[in-house]
Amino acid sequence: MIIRFLQRHREASVALIIVFLFAVLGLVDHSYLSLDTVLLVYGNSLILFVLAIGATMVMATHGLDVSVGSIMGLAAVVAGLLMNAGWGIPASVGVALLVGLLCGLFNGALVSLLKVSAIVATLGTLGLYRGFVHLLSGGSWIEGLPENFKALTKAGSAGLSPVAWLVLVLLIVAHLGLRYTAFGRSMFAVGDNREGARLIGIRVNEVQIVAYGLNGLLAALAGVIFASQIGFIPNTAGTGMEMRAIASSVLGGVSLLGGTGTVLGAALGAYFMTSIDSILVLLRLEAYWNDIIAGAILLVVLITDGKIREAVDRLLRYQKYRKFIDPQAAAQHGDAAKAATRPLKTALETSEARK
Amino acid sequence: MKLHPALKRWESVLALLLIAEILLFGAINPVFLQPSMLLYATSDFIHVGITALALTLVIITGGIDLSLGSVMGLSAITLGILWVGGVDIWVAAVAALAVGTLGGVFNAVAIHLSKVNPLVITLGTGFLFGGAALVLSGLAGATGYEGISNFDPAFVNLANLEVLGLPLPFALFLALTVGFMALLHRTRFGRYVYLIGQNPRAAAYAGTPVFRTLVVAYALTSLMAALSGLILASYFGSARSDFGTTALMPAITAVVLGGTSIYGGSGTILGTALAALLVGYLQTGLQLVGVSSHVSSALSGGLLVIVVALRSLSEMGRVWFQHRRVLRNVAAE
Repeated sequence: MIIRFLQRHREASVALIIVFLFAVLGLVDHSYLSLDTVLLVYGNSLILFVLAIGATMVMATHGLDVSVGSIMGLAAVVAGLLMNAGWGIPASVGVALLVGLLCGLFNGALVSLLKVSAIVATLGTLGLYRGFVHLLSGGSWIEGLPENFKALTKAGSAGLSPVAWLVLVLLIVAHLGLRYTAFGRSMFAVGDNREGARLIGIRVNEVQIVAYGLNGLLAALAGVIFASQIGFIPNTAGTGMEMRAIASSVLGGVSLLGGTGTVLGAALGAYFMTSIDSILVLLRLEAYWNDIIAGAILLVVLITDGKIREAVDRLLRYQKYRKFIDPQAAAQHGDAAKAATRPLKTALETSEARK
Repeated sequence: MKLHPALKRWESVLALLLIAEILLFGAINPVFLQPSMLLYATSDFIHVGITALALTLVIITGGIDLSLGSVMGLSAITLGILWVGGVDIWVAAVAALAVGTLGGVFNAVAIHLSKVNPLVITLGTGFLFGGAALVLSGLAGATGYEGISNFDPAFVNLANLEVLGLPLPFALFLALTVGFMALLHRTRFGRYVYLIGQNPRAAAYAGTPVFRTLVVAYALTSLMAALSGLILASYFGSARSDFGTTALMPAITAVVLGGTSIYGGSGTILGTALAALLVGYLQTGLQLVGVSSHVSSALSGGLLVIVVALRSLSEMGRVWFQHRRVLRNVAAE
C-alpha cells in the first residue's frame, strides 16, 4: 500500500527524506528547527530550482542538456558586462536571457533537426559556450556590479527576496503548465513515444526545440540569479551545475528515458541537494562531506526505486498470467464471479471493456 | 572513382585530419614540428587518451561512465594519503589502482542490480567517489582543494622517464592502445562487448555472460582512470582530489569523435586513440599559436559539434539518396 503510493508519487519519497534530514537537525539542536531555516535553504536553492525546471522539460522529451552550466556562465557574463557598460538592469538582464534562449535553441536544433544524440551535442556546446565566456570576459573576473542588481536577491517582504518570489511563481507556473496544458503534455508524449506523438499530430521537432530553448532561457535566468547573489562573476560561473541539476531531477522522479516526472518532484530534489549543504553547516560538519552524502542518498533512492519498479512489474505480470499457471485459483475466481448476483451479460460486458 | 576500402574508414579521415593539423600548426610555428615538442606535448593530455581507450569499451556496450573523473581524483588522493601515512610509494600506487578498480566493479554491480540507466548510476557514483576523495583529503588535513605533495622523487621522475626515446606516459598510451585493440577486436570478450551493445536482450538469450562482461568493462575503465590519476600525480608532483573534473568531457569527446556510437554497438579503439591525439594536439597547437587554453577548449567543443553534425547529415543524405534511387526504380518499372 505504502509502496504503491510511493510508486505513484515519486515526489513523496524525496519529501520524506527532506523531513528526515530536518528531523536529524532538530534532534541535534531545537533552535534550528524553524521557518527561518526552511527559508534559508529555499534562498540557497534558487539557482538549482530554476535549472531543475529546465532539466525536467528537456528530460521529459527524452533529452539531456549538459551545457546548462556554460549557458549560466555566459548569461551572467553578458549581463555583467552590459551593466558595467552603463546599460540599465532590465535591458542587460533581457539581453542575457535572450542569449540563453538562443543557446538553448541551438542545442535543440542540433538534437531535433540534425539528429545528433543529446548528450554528444550538448557536450560539444558545453565547451563552445564556455569558450564564449572566456572570450567575452577576457579571462578576468567581472566585479563592481550595481548595488540595485545585488539587492534583487536580498531578503525583502516576508523573508523572501524579489527573485525568490519570482522563482516561486515560476515553479508553480511550470508545474501546472507541464501537467495541465496541451503543450506541456506534448513534451511528455514526445519523450514517451516520439513516433506515436508524431502520428497523433504533435509537431515533434518544434516541441523538442522549444523545450531546449526554454531550458536555455531558464539556465540564463539561473546565471543572472548567480551573479546577483555572489556580486561578482568568475569565469568558472556555473561549472558542474549541469550534473547537480540532472541529479536533482532524477532524485525527484524525472526519468532520463523521457515521458515521466513532475516539476514538483524536481524542485524537491533540488531542495534536498541544497539542504544537505546548509544542514551540514548548521551541524558544524566540514563542507567536504556534502558530495559523498548526496551521492550515497542518490544511489540508494535510485537502486530502491529500480527494485520496487521491478517488483511491481513482476506482480502485474503474475496477475495477468495467473490463470495459466494455477488453474485452480482461476476456477475459484470464476466461481466467485458466478456467485455474484449480477447478470452474466454485464459481467461479459465489463470483461470486454477491460480488454 | 574507386577508393581502397581502408581509405573509406573513419579512422583514415581522422589520421588525415591529424596530419593536416600538425602540418598547419607547423606552418604557423615551426617549433611545433620538432619531434621532442610533439612527443613531450602529449604529457599534457595523454591521461585523457588513456582513460578514453577503456571508456570506448563501456560506450560500445551501450553504457557510459560519468564517474571516471572522480575516480582519477580518488586514486590520486588514495596514493597521497597512504604516502603521508608512511606506506611505500609503490605499494600505495598499487593500492590506488585497486581502489579505482573496485569503484568500477561497484558501478557495474549497481547498474546490474538496479537496472537503471548507467548514465544516472554513474552520475550518482561520480558524486560518491568525488565526495570520498574530498573527505579523504579533508581528513588528512589537506583541506579542501589543496594537494598532497613531497612524493618520493623516484615516483615524481616517472612521468619524465624515457622508454625507447618516448616519454613514459606516451609509451604507456601506445602500449595500451595495442593492448585494447587486441582485447576488443581479437578476443571473445571483445565480441561480447559488441554483441551486448547491439542488442542486450539477444545477447542474454544467446548465453553471453552479460554481467561478467559489463563488470570487466567498467572495472577496466575505472582502472585506467585510476592509472591516469597516478600519471597526473607523478607529472604534477602532487595529488589533488579535483584532478579529474576537467578530464571527463574530453574523454567522452575523444570516444565519440573516434567514431564510437553513443548508442552502443559500434566503434574502434584506433579511432578513439587518433581522436584523443587530434583533440590534444589541437589544444597544444592553439596555445602555441597564442590562443588561450580556454578558447582552445571552446574550439574543441566546436569541433565535436561540427564533426558529429556532419556525420549525422551525411547519414541523412545517404538515406535520402537511397530512397530516391528506390523510388526511381519503382517509377521506371
